[in-house]
Amino acid sequence: MSNYVLKYKRGNEVKYISHLDFVRFIQRVIRRAELPMLFSSGFNPHPLINIALPLSVGVTSDGELMRIGLDGDFNEQFVMDTINKTLPPGFEIIGIKKVEGKEINFNKINKAIYQCNCELEKETKVDIPSFLSNTSLLVMKKSKSGIKEADIRPHIHSLECTQEKNNITLKMCIDAGNNYNLKPDTVIEAMEKYIDGFKTTFYAVHRCALLADDAELL
Amino acid sequence: MSFSLMDKILKNVEKPTRYTGRELNMCIKDPAKIDVRFGFCFPDVYEIAMSHLGLKILYHVLNLRDDTYCERVFAPWVDMEEAMRANNMKLFALETGDEVISFDMIGFTLQYEMSYSNVINMLDLAGIPLLSKDRGTNVPFVCAGGPCAYNAEPIADAIDFFMLGEGEDIICEIIDVYKEWKKIPDHTREQYLEMIAEIEGIYVPQFYDVEYNEDCTIKSITPNRPCAKPVVKKRIMSDFDSAPTPDKVIVPYGDIVHDRVMLEVFRGCIRGCRFCQAGYVYRPVRERKADTLTCLADRLLSSTGYDEISLSSLSTSDYSQLPELTDNLIEMTEKKKIGLSLPSLRIDNFSLELMNKVQKVRKSGITFAPEAGTQRLRDVINKNITEENILSSTAMLFRGGWTNVKLYFMIGLPAETEEDVEGIANLAQKVLDTYFEIPKEERAKNINITVSTSSFIPKPFTAFQWCRQDTRDEIIEKQNLLKSSIKSKRIRYSWHDNKTSYLEGVFARGDRRLINVICRAVKNGCRFDGWNDHFKFDQWMKSFEECNIDPDFYLRERGFDEVLPWDHIDIGVTKSFFKREYDKSQKAQTTPNCREKCSGCGASCFGTGVCYE
Repeated sequence: MSNYVLKYKRGNEVKYISHLDFVRFIQRVIRRAELPMLFSSGFNPHPLINIALPLSVGVTSDGELMRIGLDGDFNEQFVMDTINKTLPPGFEIIGIKKVEGKEINFNKINKAIYQCNCELEKETKVDIPSFLSNTSLLVMKKSKSGIKEADIRPHIHSLECTQEKNNITLKMCIDAGNNYNLKPDTVIEAMEKYIDGFKTTFYAVHRCALLADDAELL
Repeated sequence: MSFSLMDKILKNVEKPTRYTGRELNMCIKDPAKIDVRFGFCFPDVYEIAMSHLGLKILYHVLNLRDDTYCERVFAPWVDMEEAMRANNMKLFALETGDEVISFDMIGFTLQYEMSYSNVINMLDLAGIPLLSKDRGTNVPFVCAGGPCAYNAEPIADAIDFFMLGEGEDIICEIIDVYKEWKKIPDHTREQYLEMIAEIEGIYVPQFYDVEYNEDCTIKSITPNRPCAKPVVKKRIMSDFDSAPTPDKVIVPYGDIVHDRVMLEVFRGCIRGCRFCQAGYVYRPVRERKADTLTCLADRLLSSTGYDEISLSSLSTSDYSQLPELTDNLIEMTEKKKIGLSLPSLRIDNFSLELMNKVQKVRKSGITFAPEAGTQRLRDVINKNITEENILSSTAMLFRGGWTNVKLYFMIGLPAETEEDVEGIANLAQKVLDTYFEIPKEERAKNINITVSTSSFIPKPFTAFQWCRQDTRDEIIEKQNLLKSSIKSKRIRYSWHDNKTSYLEGVFARGDRRLINVICRAVKNGCRFDGWNDHFKFDQWMKSFEECNIDPDFYLRERGFDEVLPWDHIDIGVTKSFFKREYDKSQKAQTTPNCREKCSGCGASCFGTGVCYE
């Protein structure tokens, strides 16, 4: 038996699949690839598949990670090619590594880089440095214990903006992971609250990478 | 940068994968290289539609053709419909996202009467005129099939043509004719309909004039041109073993109702329960060989990655090669760690042993369908199961560790008395007693018996097609009687909503006059009538009133000499057979099943199946 960490893309075609549906989907993918999945022991065995950090519905990504357990020892390239052959358009495995024990620990993920393409209600001057100069950015944030006001400023590490009339592109590095997970939607909400006249009519979110200690795991 | 309307809409609807397509095994073709674009319409939401085996088969059959692209079109859920209407977005197909109004043809499958409002609503969303007579050459042909098509008179005026019976062959024939028709200069819609009216199994409603008597019963149904046959006969696949069936099916992303590989074991049913339309309209019984099914199962599992497989048929225990098939499947599923589910089995030693062998069997929830509470009434409906059968089977189950038993009955059956209703409670009590008679150490704890009743609805093409349907008050009275007859706290009672049954009864035996009511009801906001949360009974009653039609008219008893709205349709089983069955039911006489003794129902006219075993 061996464990593999896979890095994969999720494109526009498949961005609306919820996390739970995605896990079931991956099980079927591996069955179709005829790779022998490892199952958990116990009364109700389930396949050993672990997704690094759930992707929200509607979000695309270039750098998702999952870990799968296979019953047998396979060449990395073989596993990657076999799975890619059975994936529908929109999904692609772009990296793979056979790992031992705790090597590549998803719990270490603490940041993520996102790119958001936003359409503004009207052309507005977006002054990022002055936005970031706020000592605190208070917004309503959903947490395990309900919705409450939270200061998200300490969790924004960088934010850049390019603008063309009422279309802007935001690139941000923010806290992510089990410890503290900030959604780009919440950052945009804060911008709408703190930047005068800034109001989005629609935006699309793309996750560029997951980071652990400022480096990608794979 | 610009965002698509679809992206903006999907951000605010629940379960967006209902609308995005792109699932595994979806058929992708270049519409520019296609002669005929066909929209397979299922008038319900994605999760229901994608569970339908007929869709998978016809999608496969049509897409095998290089000249045709079959795409899926489903009813958008209410939130999506609202968003679509607000943004002037028309009904679209899942494969390409293109509007169906640009298609050559769309076909609805009519699985249940309560979906008629969705059919009309989907036509409206598509921008297609609701009535056949108002459609010009620039809109697609609208056809329909499925079990309700045998009497779809209530929506006949909205459908250009029906395909009666099994669709694998006929659907290709109408496509062939369509291509011929397209080549004719200055072709008209009527011309195409005349051309296909020659094909067996095609029913073009507008080619038949319906005249009514003063009391609103039908006086006559007459073809109004030579191409229309006086009687339209259903089609079947003579050689079911080799009938086309997909070896890969679309695997949805979301959780659908039947999310597994389905193996269609046979068509038809040998039983002949007198209330059951499915038992008659799918005759004669035709089986697939166990070897064929085993190979198919293997191919479907590898092409889909599903981890569950299920057998599909009416009364699966009647499959003549069941032991062979289940042996093969158990071997296959154990090796691949796949779950096997076996619905619709009669409980006997064989099936119990089988259930013990099969993985993933949760020892809860076994359903029995005695259908009626007394032996007399079970004989009336020809449900050939005795109290002794039921009690000995439940005893076996209890000894095997099962403790959750559901007993399914109908109330409102013809010739039902108070005694029959009380008989339901008595039977449930006897099942409970059986449990307590088993020594404690040989049974599991916590017995749970659920009695569930639905209301009987007389259906066309059954022995009870002439019968009166109980009024809502009568049903409620019987439900109350049953409630008070159940004494034990271990027996729970659940019942079916009488309003839904009432409307279903109206449409099941309805005539063409109902189209106005349906269109009106859709205007009044009715849709998804099969969903309790969305069923608007008051709006339906208002619509009947506005159209000046009394729904009770359709629930009355009908005379044997009355012209029935479906008399010009031939399913193989004859009216005289149904008459004989009705007479026998009055005397509580049973009829043997097809394998015991042929009763001469008429289905042998198809020259195949169980009639010639």
